[in-house]
Amino acid sequence: MANFNFKERVIECKIVYYGPGRCGKTTNLEYVFKAFKKTTSGDMVSIDTKGDRTLFFDFLPMGLGKIRGCDVMMQLYAVPGQQKYSSTRKMVLKGVDGVVFVADSLEVRRKANLLSLKDLQGNLKEQGHSIFKLPLIIQYNKRDLAEEGFPILPEDVLEQDLNSKLKVPSFTASAVKGTGVWPTLKECMKLTLLELQKELKWAG
Amino acid sequence: MSDKDRIRSLLKEAELYKKQSLLTQSKGKYLNVLQIIESSRQLGNREKLLDAVREKMRAVEEKLTEIDEAPEVPELSESQHNLIRKRFSFSKDKDKAAIEGAVALAKFGQYEQALEQFKKLLRQGILPVVVAKNIITCLLSFSTADAAVAQFSQWVSRESLSRPQLKQIRAFLNSTFGKKGIKAELPKLDEAPAEAGKEDEEGDAVLDLSSISIQLESGPLKGETVEFDVTFQSGNSVSVIIPARRKDLLDSFKTGMELSDIQCFSPIGFFRANGVLFGKTEIKDGPKQGDYLLEIAINAD
Repeated sequence: MANFNFKERVIECKIVYYGPGRCGKTTNLEYVFKAFKKTTSGDMVSIDTKGDRTLFFDFLPMGLGKIRGCDVMMQLYAVPGQQKYSSTRKMVLKGVDGVVFVADSLEVRRKANLLSLKDLQGNLKEQGHSIFKLPLIIQYNKRDLAEEGFPILPEDVLEQDLNSKLKVPSFTASAVKGTGVWPTLKECMKLTLLELQKELKWAG
Repeated sequence: MSDKDRIRSLLKEAELYKKQSLLTQSKGKYLNVLQIIESSRQLGNREKLLDAVREKMRAVEEKLTEIDEAPEVPELSESQHNLIRKRFSFSKDKDKAAIEGAVALAKFGQYEQALEQFKKLLRQGILPVVVAKNIITCLLSFSTADAAVAQFSQWVSRESLSRPQLKQIRAFLNSTFGKKGIKAELPKLDEAPAEAGKEDEEGDAVLDLSSISIQLESGPLKGETVEFDVTFQSGNSVSVIIPARRKDLLDSFKTGMELSDIQCFSPIGFFRANGVLFGKTEIKDGPKQGDYLLEIAINAD
């Protein structure tokens, strides 16, 4: 749930990038940090291991300007994807307002995508959220690998696997090239702010 | 597809997965290549090829080992510690948020820094039982059971916590030790010699108090004087109760606040003192359930 500081007129929302290990969550945030440096309100912090795997979380704060006289701050987080870091993912998800689920388009990661989405659903449920109600966007990352002839899953297969029940907005992307990164985040921020509007009972 | 083409394609995939740090998948592709080379008699330079692929696979295996053996808890900078404390505390209440921040440090394996924070909170008198239990948990996580026992013994001997608080912490320690199968002897509170001796030695312990009255300097009842019956006293620490219905009174007391004007009444006289509110906890069960217990350290000097 968003954090309101009425005294200082600041609203903080939390968006979490979720997905299997090495799917490109950190790469998404790195692209946002580089491309929107003027909007980010601080440095990106990554707590990772030698193998460049996110160990605890990545964190990137962004300022979105004012809404109804309140400064709106978006805190972007990425969780560690490896299965063994389940408790860390739960911690990072605490207080979440919106989720970007980054799926890996590589054929060999099909099962990992499904397991990670199931893990997200379970962890949200533990915190009293329904995956069907929380603002959620799915991103099919690494689409650029098809150009190099690598086996990736067709978009309709990914949709069937991951989005046939959820029916949430989805985007194709190549985080290393930056394509699809901003549309994904923009849509997630839009849904999150709409939810916030409902919560605050602000008229549209 | 010829064996040569299959090998070429698999090697390309193996390299890609390696580049993506999908090392298990990369190793799998190299294994496939080795199987094809071993079963194909027509390939030239088979041995040389096998050696080259094995070498590549070994490099991947080494990376996998390196990742497996990497420390799960890295050393973090002070700014990273502060970020964790700030971002993983969610309560509106400042004291609770401070505890959540320290708990987050512990959950991320930063036990020493968590311990430092908890000790600071305990000195400030913030939710002492909760904080003390967390100190014990930290010590048991990164140090030894002996360290936890030594910490508890120190609290007993220094009277830094009230008797009811020590009783709760002792029960927590006993239960934790029981669950972990640790056998350790804890100082018995009723016979704590150092504690009993301290009052005799110092000779300046606060008299047994029957009630106290406090002039409120802030909050909704600012300027008013309120009187409480003392429900429990241990040395210079007294406990008083605020009924649940007196929200205005409850809001006037914040843990850690200094009370500069306390009138203390004992059966043999009264005196003025100052003090610190070091505990404000909801009573969870019994006839007073829902009421609040205030714990005040009286300074009669």
